[in-house]
Amino acid sequence: MNWPFLLLDAADNNSVANYFPIGIQLIFAAGFVATMIGVSQLLGPKRKTADKLETFASGIENHGDARQPVAIKYFLVAILFVLFDVEVIFFYPYAVNFRELGWSGFGAVLMFVSFFLIGFIYIIKKGALKWED
Amino acid sequence: MNAIIFSALAGVVMMYSGIITSKKTVIKYIAAIALVVLIAANLLQVYGIWQISVDTRDMLSFEKFGLVFNTLAFTATLIYVLLSGKEIENAGVNVAEYFALIFFVLCGVSILSSFNGLLMMFLGIEILTIPLYILTASDKRNLRSNEASLKYFLMGSFSTGIMLMGIALVYGATGSFALHTNAPVALSATGGIKASFLEVAGMILMFVSMAFKVSAAPFHFWTPDVYDGAPGVFTSFMATVVKAAGFIAFIRLFEGHTAILGPTWKILLAFVIVATLLIGNVTAVFQQSVKRMLSYSSIAQAGFMLFALYSSNDMAKEGLLLYSVAYSLATIGIFAVLIKLKDYAFDDFNGLGKTHPALAFATTVCLLSLAGIPLTGGFFAKYYMLASMVKEGGPLWLLIVAVLFAAVSVYYYFRVIQAMYFKEGTPSVQTEITSGFKAGMVLLAILIILLGIAPSLVLNLFYF
Repeated sequence: MNWPFLLLDAADNNSVANYFPIGIQLIFAAGFVATMIGVSQLLGPKRKTADKLETFASGIENHGDARQPVAIKYFLVAILFVLFDVEVIFFYPYAVNFRELGWSGFGAVLMFVSFFLIGFIYIIKKGALKWED
Repeated sequence: MNAIIFSALAGVVMMYSGIITSKKTVIKYIAAIALVVLIAANLLQVYGIWQISVDTRDMLSFEKFGLVFNTLAFTATLIYVLLSGKEIENAGVNVAEYFALIFFVLCGVSILSSFNGLLMMFLGIEILTIPLYILTASDKRNLRSNEASLKYFLMGSFSTGIMLMGIALVYGATGSFALHTNAPVALSATGGIKASFLEVAGMILMFVSMAFKVSAAPFHFWTPDVYDGAPGVFTSFMATVVKAAGFIAFIRLFEGHTAILGPTWKILLAFVIVATLLIGNVTAVFQQSVKRMLSYSSIAQAGFMLFALYSSNDMAKEGLLLYSVAYSLATIGIFAVLIKLKDYAFDDFNGLGKTHPALAFATTVCLLSLAGIPLTGGFFAKYYMLASMVKEGGPLWLLIVAVLFAAVSVYYYFRVIQAMYFKEGTPSVQTEITSGFKAGMVLLAILIILLGIAPSLVLNLFYF
Protein backbone atom coordinates (compact mmCIF):
# COMPACT_ATOMS: atom_id res chain seq x y z
CA MET A 1 0.00 0.00 0.00
CA ASN A 2 1.38 3.37 -0.97
CA TRP A 3 1.44 6.21 1.55
CA PRO A 4 -0.47 8.78 -0.55
CA PHE A 5 -3.21 6.26 -1.25
CA LEU A 6 -3.54 5.44 2.42
CA LEU A 7 -4.45 9.04 3.11
CA LEU A 8 -7.02 9.00 0.29
CA ASP A 9 -8.57 5.82 1.67
CA ALA A 10 -8.89 7.43 5.06
CA ALA A 11 -10.95 10.21 3.61
CA ASP A 12 -13.30 7.71 1.95
CA ASN A 13 -14.71 5.53 4.70
CA ASN A 14 -15.95 6.60 8.09
CA SER A 15 -13.51 4.97 10.50
CA VAL A 16 -10.72 5.58 12.95
CA ALA A 17 -8.35 5.82 10.02
CA ASN A 18 -9.86 9.25 9.39
CA TYR A 19 -7.82 10.48 12.29
CA PHE A 20 -4.55 9.17 10.92
CA PRO A 21 -3.44 12.55 9.46
CA ILE A 22 -4.29 14.26 12.75
CA GLY A 23 -2.19 11.67 14.56
CA ILE A 24 0.75 12.35 12.29
CA GLN A 25 0.35 16.05 12.87
CA LEU A 26 0.25 15.60 16.66
CA ILE A 27 3.41 13.47 16.60
CA PHE A 28 5.10 16.00 14.34
CA ALA A 29 4.09 18.93 16.56
CA ALA A 30 5.28 17.30 19.77
CA GLY A 31 8.44 16.03 18.09
CA PHE A 32 9.26 19.43 16.58
CA VAL A 33 8.92 21.22 19.92
CA ALA A 34 10.97 18.59 21.76
CA THR A 35 13.70 18.66 19.09
CA MET A 36 13.92 22.44 19.04
CA ILE A 37 14.20 22.73 22.81
CA GLY A 38 16.76 19.93 22.92
CA VAL A 39 18.85 21.31 20.07
CA SER A 40 18.91 24.85 21.40
CA GLN A 41 19.94 23.51 24.77
CA LEU A 42 22.77 21.53 23.21
CA LEU A 43 24.08 24.02 20.66
CA GLY A 44 23.30 27.38 22.22
CA PRO A 45 25.92 29.37 24.14
CA LYS A 46 25.71 29.23 27.95
CA ARG A 47 26.98 31.98 30.25
CA LYS A 48 25.65 31.44 33.74
CA THR A 49 25.97 34.50 35.92
CA ALA A 50 24.12 35.37 39.12
CA ASP A 51 22.22 38.14 37.34
CA LYS A 52 20.99 35.80 34.66
CA LEU A 53 19.69 33.17 37.05
CA GLU A 54 17.55 35.70 38.86
CA THR A 55 13.80 35.77 38.32
CA PHE A 56 12.90 38.07 35.46
CA ALA A 57 11.01 41.08 36.76
CA SER A 58 11.04 43.46 33.78
CA GLY A 59 14.58 44.54 34.53
CA ILE A 60 13.85 45.78 38.02
CA GLU A 61 15.81 44.24 40.86
CA ASN A 62 14.02 41.62 42.95
CA HIS A 63 12.72 42.48 46.39
CA GLY A 64 12.44 39.14 48.14
CA ASP A 65 9.52 36.74 48.14
CA ALA A 66 6.03 37.75 47.09
CA ARG A 67 4.49 35.38 49.60
CA GLN A 68 4.40 37.65 52.62
CA PRO A 69 1.66 37.57 55.20
CA VAL A 70 -0.96 40.17 54.33
CA ALA A 71 -3.33 41.63 56.92
CA ILE A 72 -6.56 39.64 56.99
CA LYS A 73 -8.50 42.92 56.62
CA TYR A 74 -7.67 43.11 52.90
CA PHE A 75 -8.90 39.58 52.33
CA LEU A 76 -12.09 40.18 54.28
CA VAL A 77 -12.96 43.36 52.40
CA ALA A 78 -12.12 41.73 49.07
CA ILE A 79 -14.31 38.69 49.72
CA LEU A 80 -17.20 40.85 50.91
CA PHE A 81 -16.85 42.97 47.79
CA VAL A 82 -16.99 39.88 45.59
CA LEU A 83 -20.05 38.66 47.48
CA PHE A 84 -22.00 41.86 46.91
CA ASP A 85 -20.71 42.11 43.37
CA VAL A 86 -22.02 38.66 42.51
CA GLU A 87 -25.40 39.67 43.88
CA VAL A 88 -25.72 42.21 41.08
CA ILE A 89 -25.42 39.43 38.47
CA PHE A 90 -28.77 38.04 39.61
CA PHE A 91 -30.45 41.32 38.74
CA TYR A 92 -29.69 41.02 35.01
CA PRO A 93 -31.98 38.04 34.32
CA TYR A 94 -34.61 39.69 36.51
CA ALA A 95 -34.36 42.95 34.60
CA VAL A 96 -34.77 41.11 31.29
CA ASN A 97 -37.89 39.27 32.50
CA PHE A 98 -39.21 42.14 34.60
CA ARG A 99 -42.61 42.39 32.91
CA GLU A 100 -43.36 38.67 32.67
CA LEU A 101 -42.54 37.94 36.30
CA GLY A 102 -44.90 40.60 37.58
CA TRP A 103 -45.54 41.19 41.26
CA SER A 104 -44.56 37.71 42.43
CA GLY A 105 -41.16 38.14 40.79
CA PHE A 106 -40.84 41.53 42.43
CA GLY A 107 -41.62 39.95 45.80
CA ALA A 108 -38.98 37.27 45.25
CA VAL A 109 -36.33 39.81 44.33
CA LEU A 110 -37.34 41.98 47.28
CA MET A 111 -36.84 38.99 49.57
CA PHE A 112 -33.47 38.26 47.99
CA VAL A 113 -32.32 41.85 48.48
CA SER A 114 -33.63 42.01 52.03
CA PHE A 115 -31.68 38.86 52.94
CA PHE A 116 -28.57 40.49 51.53
CA LEU A 117 -29.34 43.66 53.46
CA ILE A 118 -29.68 41.65 56.66
CA GLY A 119 -26.26 40.16 55.95
CA PHE A 120 -24.84 43.61 55.24
CA ILE A 121 -26.12 45.04 58.53
CA TYR A 122 -24.75 41.96 60.26
CA ILE A 123 -21.20 42.44 58.94
CA ILE A 124 -21.27 46.14 59.82
CA LYS A 125 -22.45 45.35 63.35
CA LYS A 126 -19.79 42.67 63.63
CA GLY A 127 -17.18 45.27 62.69
CA ALA A 128 -15.93 43.46 59.61
CA LEU A 129 -15.56 46.75 57.71
CA LYS A 130 -13.83 48.63 60.54
CA TRP A 131 -10.43 49.49 59.09
CA GLU A 132 -8.77 51.12 62.10
CA ASP A 133 -8.38 48.87 65.12
CA MET B 1 -42.38 24.66 53.49
CA ASN B 2 -42.82 25.75 57.13
CA ALA B 3 -39.66 23.96 58.18
CA ILE B 4 -37.54 25.53 55.44
CA ILE B 5 -38.78 29.08 56.08
CA PHE B 6 -38.67 28.90 59.85
CA SER B 7 -35.23 27.31 60.03
CA ALA B 8 -33.77 30.00 57.73
CA LEU B 9 -35.42 32.74 59.79
CA ALA B 10 -34.23 31.14 63.02
CA GLY B 11 -30.70 31.19 61.62
CA VAL B 12 -30.98 34.94 60.96
CA VAL B 13 -32.41 35.49 64.45
CA MET B 14 -29.48 33.61 65.97
CA MET B 15 -27.00 35.70 63.94
CA TYR B 16 -28.44 38.89 65.41
CA SER B 17 -28.83 37.51 68.92
CA GLY B 18 -25.03 37.48 69.10
CA ILE B 19 -24.99 41.23 68.45
CA ILE B 20 -27.75 42.06 70.91
CA THR B 21 -26.46 40.03 73.84
CA SER B 22 -23.10 38.54 74.73
CA LYS B 23 -24.47 36.25 77.44
CA LYS B 24 -23.84 32.73 76.20
CA THR B 25 -26.58 31.12 78.26
CA VAL B 26 -29.18 33.54 76.91
CA ILE B 27 -28.13 32.67 73.37
CA LYS B 28 -28.47 28.98 74.16
CA TYR B 29 -32.00 29.46 75.45
CA ILE B 30 -32.97 31.54 72.42
CA ALA B 31 -31.77 28.65 70.26
CA ALA B 32 -33.79 26.14 72.29
CA ILE B 33 -36.93 28.28 72.00
CA ALA B 34 -36.36 28.71 68.25
CA LEU B 35 -36.07 24.94 67.93
CA VAL B 36 -39.35 24.43 69.77
CA VAL B 37 -41.03 26.96 67.45
CA LEU B 38 -39.49 25.16 64.47
CA ILE B 39 -40.82 21.79 65.63
CA ALA B 40 -44.26 23.31 66.25
CA ALA B 41 -44.32 24.94 62.80
CA ASN B 42 -43.36 21.66 61.17
CA LEU B 43 -45.97 19.70 63.15
CA LEU B 44 -48.63 22.16 61.98
CA GLN B 45 -47.77 21.21 58.42
CA VAL B 46 -47.57 17.47 59.18
CA TYR B 47 -51.11 17.51 60.55
CA GLY B 48 -52.29 19.78 57.75
CA ILE B 49 -53.45 22.56 60.09
CA TRP B 50 -51.50 25.48 58.74
CA GLN B 51 -48.78 25.96 56.20
CA ILE B 52 -47.19 28.69 54.20
CA SER B 53 -47.94 27.76 50.62
CA VAL B 54 -45.42 28.85 48.06
CA ASP B 55 -45.54 28.01 44.38
CA THR B 56 -42.36 25.98 44.05
CA ARG B 57 -43.15 24.90 40.48
CA ASP B 58 -42.88 21.21 41.47
CA MET B 59 -39.33 21.58 42.67
CA LEU B 60 -40.34 20.61 46.18
CA SER B 61 -42.96 18.11 47.22
CA PHE B 62 -43.99 17.72 50.84
CA GLU B 63 -44.77 14.12 51.57
CA LYS B 64 -45.38 12.59 54.95
CA PHE B 65 -42.09 10.69 54.92
CA GLY B 66 -40.00 13.84 54.63
CA LEU B 67 -42.12 15.88 57.04
CA VAL B 68 -42.00 13.18 59.71
CA PHE B 69 -38.26 12.99 59.26
CA ASN B 70 -38.07 16.77 59.75
CA THR B 71 -39.87 16.44 63.07
CA LEU B 72 -37.52 13.69 64.20
CA ALA B 73 -34.40 15.56 63.10
CA PHE B 74 -35.47 18.79 64.82
CA THR B 75 -36.34 16.91 67.99
CA ALA B 76 -32.95 15.18 67.96
CA THR B 77 -31.33 18.61 67.54
CA LEU B 78 -33.32 19.96 70.49
CA ILE B 79 -32.14 17.08 72.67
CA TYR B 80 -28.61 17.69 71.42
CA VAL B 81 -28.77 21.41 72.29
CA LEU B 82 -30.21 20.71 75.73
CA LEU B 83 -27.61 18.04 76.56
CA SER B 84 -24.48 19.50 74.96
CA GLY B 85 -25.38 23.20 75.04
CA LYS B 86 -22.68 23.88 77.61
CA GLU B 87 -20.00 22.54 75.24
CA ILE B 88 -21.35 24.52 72.27
CA GLU B 89 -20.95 27.62 74.46
CA ASN B 90 -17.35 26.70 75.17
CA ALA B 91 -16.37 25.56 71.66
CA GLY B 92 -15.19 29.03 70.67
CA VAL B 93 -15.98 32.72 70.87
CA ASN B 94 -18.78 33.05 68.32
CA VAL B 95 -21.51 31.10 70.10
CA ALA B 96 -24.44 32.77 68.37
CA GLU B 97 -22.90 31.98 64.98
CA TYR B 98 -22.57 28.29 65.82
CA PHE B 99 -26.27 28.13 66.58
CA ALA B 100 -27.04 30.12 63.42
CA LEU B 101 -25.00 27.62 61.39
CA ILE B 102 -26.82 24.72 63.04
CA PHE B 103 -30.12 26.29 61.98
CA PHE B 104 -28.84 26.70 58.41
CA VAL B 105 -27.89 23.04 58.45
CA LEU B 106 -31.45 22.27 59.54
CA CYS B 107 -32.69 24.35 56.59
CA GLY B 108 -30.61 22.10 54.35
CA VAL B 109 -32.07 19.06 56.10
CA SER B 110 -35.62 20.19 55.44
CA ILE B 111 -34.84 20.85 51.76
CA LEU B 112 -33.25 17.41 51.45
CA SER B 113 -36.30 15.75 52.95
CA SER B 114 -38.64 17.31 50.40
CA PHE B 115 -36.79 17.93 47.13
CA ASN B 116 -38.50 16.87 43.97
CA GLY B 117 -35.77 17.70 41.48
CA LEU B 118 -32.04 17.43 41.13
CA LEU B 119 -31.63 21.20 41.33
CA MET B 120 -33.18 21.45 44.80
CA MET B 121 -31.25 18.40 45.90
CA PHE B 122 -28.00 20.10 44.95
CA LEU B 123 -29.01 23.28 46.78
CA GLY B 124 -30.04 21.29 49.84
CA ILE B 125 -26.74 19.45 49.98
CA GLU B 126 -24.79 22.68 49.64
CA ILE B 127 -26.84 24.43 52.34
CA LEU B 128 -26.26 21.38 54.53
CA THR B 129 -22.51 21.04 54.07
CA ILE B 130 -21.15 24.58 53.85
CA PRO B 131 -22.05 25.45 57.48
CA LEU B 132 -20.44 22.15 58.50
CA TYR B 133 -17.09 23.18 57.02
CA ILE B 134 -17.18 26.23 59.30
CA LEU B 135 -18.35 24.29 62.35
CA THR B 136 -15.52 21.80 61.85
CA ALA B 137 -12.98 24.63 62.02
CA SER B 138 -14.65 26.43 64.94
CA ASP B 139 -11.80 25.51 67.28
CA LYS B 140 -9.71 28.13 65.51
CA ARG B 141 -6.46 27.81 67.52
CA ASN B 142 -6.39 24.02 67.18
CA LEU B 143 -4.34 22.86 64.23
CA ARG B 144 -6.18 19.54 63.99
CA SER B 145 -9.52 21.29 63.76
CA ASN B 146 -8.20 23.46 60.93
CA GLU B 147 -6.74 20.47 59.13
CA ALA B 148 -10.01 18.56 59.46
CA SER B 149 -11.95 21.50 58.06
CA LEU B 150 -9.64 21.97 55.09
CA LYS B 151 -9.71 18.25 54.35
CA TYR B 152 -13.49 18.18 54.61
CA PHE B 153 -13.81 21.25 52.42
CA LEU B 154 -11.52 19.95 49.65
CA MET B 155 -12.96 16.45 49.61
CA GLY B 156 -16.49 17.77 49.90
CA SER B 157 -15.97 20.14 47.00
CA PHE B 158 -14.68 17.33 44.82
CA SER B 159 -17.63 15.13 45.63
CA THR B 160 -19.97 18.04 44.92
CA GLY B 161 -18.23 18.43 41.58
CA ILE B 162 -18.84 14.75 40.83
CA MET B 163 -22.48 15.21 41.76
CA LEU B 164 -22.80 18.18 39.41
CA MET B 165 -21.32 16.12 36.60
CA GLY B 166 -23.89 13.43 37.33
CA ILE B 167 -26.73 15.93 37.34
CA ALA B 168 -25.51 17.37 34.04
CA LEU B 169 -25.42 13.92 32.43
CA VAL B 170 -28.91 13.04 33.66
CA TYR B 171 -30.18 16.40 32.44
CA GLY B 172 -28.56 15.74 29.09
CA ALA B 173 -30.26 12.36 28.83
CA THR B 174 -33.74 13.21 30.07
CA GLY B 175 -33.98 16.94 29.42
CA SER B 176 -35.31 17.74 32.86
CA PHE B 177 -34.25 18.04 36.48
CA ALA B 178 -37.41 16.28 37.65
CA LEU B 179 -36.89 13.30 39.91
CA HIS B 180 -39.65 11.08 38.59
CA THR B 181 -39.87 11.49 34.87
CA ASN B 182 -43.03 10.24 33.27
CA ALA B 183 -41.26 9.39 30.05
CA PRO B 184 -42.18 5.89 28.79
CA VAL B 185 -39.45 3.36 29.42
CA ALA B 186 -38.38 1.20 26.51
CA LEU B 187 -37.94 -2.49 27.15
CA SER B 188 -34.93 -4.16 25.62
CA ALA B 189 -35.00 -7.61 24.02
CA THR B 190 -33.89 -9.31 27.23
CA GLY B 191 -36.68 -7.72 29.23
CA GLY B 192 -34.50 -5.18 31.02
CA ILE B 193 -35.24 -1.52 30.78
CA LYS B 194 -33.25 0.30 28.19
CA ALA B 195 -31.83 3.48 29.54
CA SER B 196 -29.51 5.79 27.76
CA PHE B 197 -25.85 5.43 28.61
CA LEU B 198 -25.73 9.05 29.74
CA GLU B 199 -28.48 8.60 32.28
CA VAL B 200 -26.91 5.51 33.81
CA ALA B 201 -23.50 7.18 33.93
CA GLY B 202 -25.07 10.22 35.58
CA MET B 203 -26.82 8.10 38.18
CA ILE B 204 -23.58 6.28 38.97
CA LEU B 205 -21.76 9.59 39.46
CA MET B 206 -24.52 10.79 41.76
CA PHE B 207 -24.32 7.51 43.64
CA VAL B 208 -20.59 8.02 44.19
CA SER B 209 -21.16 11.53 45.47
CA MET B 210 -24.02 10.59 47.78
CA ALA B 211 -22.03 7.62 49.10
CA PHE B 212 -19.30 10.09 49.90
CA LYS B 213 -21.70 12.36 51.79
CA VAL B 214 -23.00 9.53 53.96
CA SER B 215 -19.45 8.10 54.28
CA ALA B 216 -20.05 4.69 52.77
CA ALA B 217 -16.95 2.70 51.83
CA PRO B 218 -14.97 3.02 49.58
CA PHE B 219 -15.68 6.77 49.85
CA HIS B 220 -15.30 6.98 53.62
CA PHE B 221 -11.69 8.17 53.93
CA TRP B 222 -12.53 11.68 55.05
CA THR B 223 -14.79 10.56 57.91
CA PRO B 224 -12.37 9.48 60.67
CA ASP B 225 -10.09 12.48 60.22
CA VAL B 226 -12.89 15.02 60.06
CA TYR B 227 -14.92 13.54 62.91
CA ASP B 228 -11.77 13.22 64.99
CA GLY B 229 -10.44 16.70 64.27
CA ALA B 230 -13.68 18.62 64.67
CA PRO B 231 -14.67 19.78 68.16
CA GLY B 232 -16.53 16.95 69.90
CA VAL B 233 -19.86 18.75 70.11
CA PHE B 234 -20.00 19.34 66.38
CA THR B 235 -18.88 15.81 65.60
CA SER B 236 -21.92 14.70 67.54
CA PHE B 237 -24.18 16.81 65.33
CA MET B 238 -22.45 15.80 62.09
CA ALA B 239 -22.56 12.10 62.88
CA THR B 240 -26.26 12.10 63.71
CA VAL B 241 -28.73 14.56 62.23
CA VAL B 242 -26.62 15.37 59.17
CA LYS B 243 -25.86 11.76 58.37
CA ALA B 244 -29.50 10.73 58.72
CA ALA B 245 -30.52 13.59 56.41
CA GLY B 246 -27.96 12.34 53.89
CA PHE B 247 -29.67 8.96 53.87
CA ILE B 248 -33.11 10.48 53.46
CA ALA B 249 -31.83 12.36 50.41
CA PHE B 250 -30.13 9.19 49.16
CA ILE B 251 -33.32 7.12 49.30
CA ARG B 252 -35.47 9.91 47.83
CA LEU B 253 -33.05 10.27 44.93
CA PHE B 254 -32.82 6.59 44.08
CA GLU B 255 -36.19 5.06 44.90
CA GLY B 256 -37.67 5.88 41.51
CA HIS B 257 -34.55 5.19 39.54
CA THR B 258 -33.44 1.73 40.57
CA ALA B 259 -35.30 0.19 37.63
CA ILE B 260 -33.15 2.15 35.21
CA LEU B 261 -29.96 0.78 36.67
CA GLY B 262 -31.19 -2.80 36.42
CA PRO B 263 -29.91 -5.87 38.28
CA THR B 264 -26.36 -4.49 38.35
CA TRP B 265 -27.59 -1.92 40.84
CA LYS B 266 -28.21 -4.56 43.52
CA ILE B 267 -24.78 -6.07 43.01
CA LEU B 268 -23.14 -2.66 43.23
CA LEU B 269 -25.06 -1.80 46.37
CA ALA B 270 -24.34 -5.17 47.98
CA PHE B 271 -20.63 -4.57 47.38
CA VAL B 272 -20.80 -1.10 48.94
CA ILE B 273 -22.76 -2.40 51.95
CA VAL B 274 -20.34 -5.24 52.65
CA ALA B 275 -17.30 -2.97 52.18
CA THR B 276 -18.80 -0.35 54.51
CA LEU B 277 -19.64 -2.90 57.20
CA LEU B 278 -16.22 -4.52 56.90
CA ILE B 279 -14.16 -1.33 57.03
CA GLY B 280 -16.28 0.38 59.67
CA ASN B 281 -16.44 -2.52 62.09
CA VAL B 282 -12.99 -4.03 61.69
CA THR B 283 -11.18 -0.69 61.89
CA ALA B 284 -13.22 0.41 64.90
CA VAL B 285 -11.92 -2.61 66.80
CA PHE B 286 -8.35 -1.29 66.67
CA GLN B 287 -9.00 2.30 67.76
CA GLN B 288 -7.44 3.69 70.93
CA SER B 289 -9.62 6.79 71.17
CA VAL B 290 -13.35 6.57 71.79
CA LYS B 291 -14.00 9.54 69.52
CA ARG B 292 -12.24 7.85 66.61
CA MET B 293 -13.94 4.57 67.43
CA LEU B 294 -17.29 6.34 67.24
CA SER B 295 -16.44 7.83 63.87
CA TYR B 296 -15.65 4.36 62.52
CA SER B 297 -18.79 3.08 64.17
CA SER B 298 -20.72 5.77 62.31
CA ILE B 299 -19.34 4.28 59.08
CA ALA B 300 -20.47 0.85 60.24
CA GLN B 301 -23.94 2.17 61.08
CA ALA B 302 -24.08 3.79 57.64
CA GLY B 303 -23.60 0.28 56.24
CA PHE B 304 -26.78 -0.80 58.00
CA MET B 305 -28.71 2.23 56.87
CA LEU B 306 -27.73 1.41 53.28
CA PHE B 307 -30.00 -1.64 53.54
CA ALA B 308 -32.92 0.79 53.32
CA LEU B 309 -31.60 1.79 49.92
CA TYR B 310 -31.12 -1.84 48.92
CA SER B 311 -34.73 -2.79 49.55
CA SER B 312 -36.29 0.69 49.13
CA ASN B 313 -39.84 -0.46 49.96
CA ASP B 314 -42.25 1.00 52.52
CA MET B 315 -40.84 -1.11 55.31
CA ALA B 316 -37.35 0.21 54.52
CA LYS B 317 -38.62 3.78 54.77
CA GLU B 318 -40.20 3.13 58.16
CA GLY B 319 -37.05 1.36 59.24
CA LEU B 320 -34.88 4.26 58.10
CA LEU B 321 -36.91 6.69 60.22
CA LEU B 322 -36.59 4.36 63.20
CA TYR B 323 -32.91 3.84 62.54
CA SER B 324 -32.15 7.55 62.32
CA VAL B 325 -33.93 8.16 65.63
CA ALA B 326 -32.35 5.23 67.47
CA TYR B 327 -28.88 5.91 66.10
CA SER B 328 -29.07 9.71 66.57
CA LEU B 329 -30.30 9.54 70.16
CA ALA B 330 -27.70 6.97 71.18
CA THR B 331 -24.80 8.80 69.51
CA ILE B 332 -25.88 12.17 70.92
CA GLY B 333 -25.98 10.60 74.38
CA ILE B 334 -22.52 9.03 74.14
CA PHE B 335 -20.97 12.20 72.77
CA ALA B 336 -22.63 14.29 75.50
CA VAL B 337 -20.76 12.22 78.09
CA LEU B 338 -17.59 11.89 76.03
CA ILE B 339 -17.07 15.65 75.66
CA LYS B 340 -17.24 16.05 79.43
CA LEU B 341 -14.06 13.95 79.71
CA LYS B 342 -10.52 15.25 79.34
CA ASP B 343 -9.21 13.14 76.49
CA TYR B 344 -11.18 10.82 74.34
CA ALA B 345 -9.34 7.65 75.36
CA PHE B 346 -10.99 4.47 76.59
CA ASP B 347 -9.14 4.82 79.92
CA ASP B 348 -10.98 8.05 80.67
CA PHE B 349 -14.10 6.03 81.30
CA ASN B 350 -12.37 3.91 83.99
CA GLY B 351 -14.43 3.77 87.12
CA LEU B 352 -17.25 5.98 85.83
CA GLY B 353 -19.70 3.35 87.07
CA LYS B 354 -18.66 4.03 90.67
CA THR B 355 -18.37 7.81 90.66
CA HIS B 356 -21.27 8.67 88.35
CA PRO B 357 -23.65 5.70 88.30
CA ALA B 358 -26.44 7.57 86.53
CA LEU B 359 -24.18 8.70 83.68
CA ALA B 360 -22.63 5.25 83.37
CA PHE B 361 -26.09 3.68 83.17
CA ALA B 362 -27.25 6.09 80.47
CA THR B 363 -24.05 5.62 78.46
CA THR B 364 -24.43 1.86 78.73
CA VAL B 365 -27.96 2.03 77.36
CA CYS B 366 -26.76 4.20 74.48
CA LEU B 367 -23.94 1.78 73.67
CA LEU B 368 -26.25 -1.22 73.85
CA SER B 369 -28.60 0.56 71.48
CA LEU B 370 -25.79 1.18 68.99
CA ALA B 371 -24.79 -2.48 69.22
CA GLY B 372 -28.40 -3.51 68.57
CA ILE B 373 -29.12 -5.41 71.78
CA PRO B 374 -32.83 -6.22 72.29
CA LEU B 375 -34.92 -3.94 74.52
CA THR B 376 -33.15 -0.89 73.08
CA GLY B 377 -34.13 1.20 70.08
CA GLY B 378 -31.17 -0.01 68.06
CA PHE B 379 -32.44 -3.58 67.98
CA PHE B 380 -35.65 -2.81 66.17
CA ALA B 381 -33.84 -0.38 63.90
CA LYS B 382 -31.47 -3.09 62.73
CA TYR B 383 -34.33 -5.61 62.62
CA TYR B 384 -36.38 -3.41 60.32
CA MET B 385 -33.41 -2.84 58.00
CA LEU B 386 -32.70 -6.56 57.62
CA ALA B 387 -36.37 -7.57 57.50
CA SER B 388 -37.08 -5.13 54.69
CA MET B 389 -34.15 -6.63 52.79
CA VAL B 390 -35.49 -10.17 53.28
CA LYS B 391 -38.96 -9.03 52.26
CA GLU B 392 -37.52 -7.69 49.02
CA GLY B 393 -35.90 -11.05 48.34
CA GLY B 394 -32.33 -10.12 49.12
CA PRO B 395 -29.66 -12.82 49.20
CA LEU B 396 -29.14 -14.84 52.38
CA TRP B 397 -25.38 -14.33 52.48
CA LEU B 398 -25.85 -10.58 52.78
CA LEU B 399 -28.06 -11.12 55.82
CA ILE B 400 -25.49 -13.40 57.44
CA VAL B 401 -22.67 -10.93 56.77
CA ALA B 402 -24.70 -8.11 58.32
CA VAL B 403 -25.50 -10.10 61.47
CA LEU B 404 -21.86 -11.18 61.80
CA PHE B 405 -20.65 -7.60 61.65
CA ALA B 406 -23.30 -6.54 64.17
CA ALA B 407 -21.73 -9.14 66.45
CA VAL B 408 -18.26 -7.68 65.81
CA SER B 409 -19.55 -4.24 66.77
CA VAL B 410 -20.52 -5.56 70.20
CA TYR B 411 -16.81 -5.99 70.96
CA TYR B 412 -15.79 -2.35 70.63
CA TYR B 413 -18.95 -0.92 72.18
CA PHE B 414 -18.52 -3.21 75.19
CA ARG B 415 -14.94 -2.06 75.69
CA VAL B 416 -16.36 1.24 76.92
CA ILE B 417 -18.84 -0.54 79.21
CA GLN B 418 -16.02 -2.71 80.51
CA ALA B 419 -13.93 0.40 81.28
CA MET B 420 -16.81 2.01 83.13
CA TYR B 421 -17.75 -0.89 85.36
CA PHE B 422 -14.87 -3.34 85.61
CA LYS B 423 -11.76 -1.19 85.61
CA GLU B 424 -10.34 0.66 88.58
CA GLY B 425 -9.47 4.32 88.32
CA THR B 426 -10.91 7.77 88.49
CA PRO B 427 -12.69 9.08 85.40
CA SER B 428 -11.17 12.32 84.15
CA VAL B 429 -14.37 14.33 84.19
CA GLN B 430 -13.34 17.81 83.17
CA THR B 431 -16.45 19.91 83.48
CA GLU B 432 -18.74 19.62 86.45
CA ILE B 433 -21.78 17.41 85.98
CA THR B 434 -24.99 19.17 86.93
CA SER B 435 -27.99 17.27 88.20
CA GLY B 436 -29.95 18.60 85.21
CA PHE B 437 -27.50 16.90 82.86
CA LYS B 438 -27.79 13.65 84.80
CA ALA B 439 -31.57 13.81 84.64
CA GLY B 440 -31.42 14.55 80.91
CA MET B 441 -29.16 11.57 80.26
CA VAL B 442 -31.38 9.23 82.27
CA LEU B 443 -34.44 10.51 80.39
CA LEU B 444 -32.61 9.87 77.12
CA ALA B 445 -31.83 6.33 78.25
CA ILE B 446 -35.48 5.78 79.16
CA LEU B 447 -36.50 7.11 75.75
CA ILE B 448 -34.15 4.66 74.02
CA ILE B 449 -35.51 1.74 76.06
CA LEU B 450 -39.04 2.90 75.30
CA LEU B 451 -38.21 2.84 71.59
CA GLY B 452 -36.92 -0.70 72.04
CA ILE B 453 -40.12 -1.87 73.71
CA ALA B 454 -42.57 0.01 71.51
CA PRO B 455 -40.99 1.04 68.20
CA SER B 456 -44.49 1.83 66.98
CA LEU B 457 -44.10 5.16 68.82
CA VAL B 458 -42.07 6.37 65.88
CA LEU B 459 -43.58 4.19 63.21
CA ASN B 460 -47.12 5.34 63.96
CA LEU B 461 -46.07 8.88 63.13
CA PHE B 462 -45.84 7.62 59.61
CA TYR B 463 -49.44 6.46 59.50
CA PHE B 464 -51.50 8.37 62.08
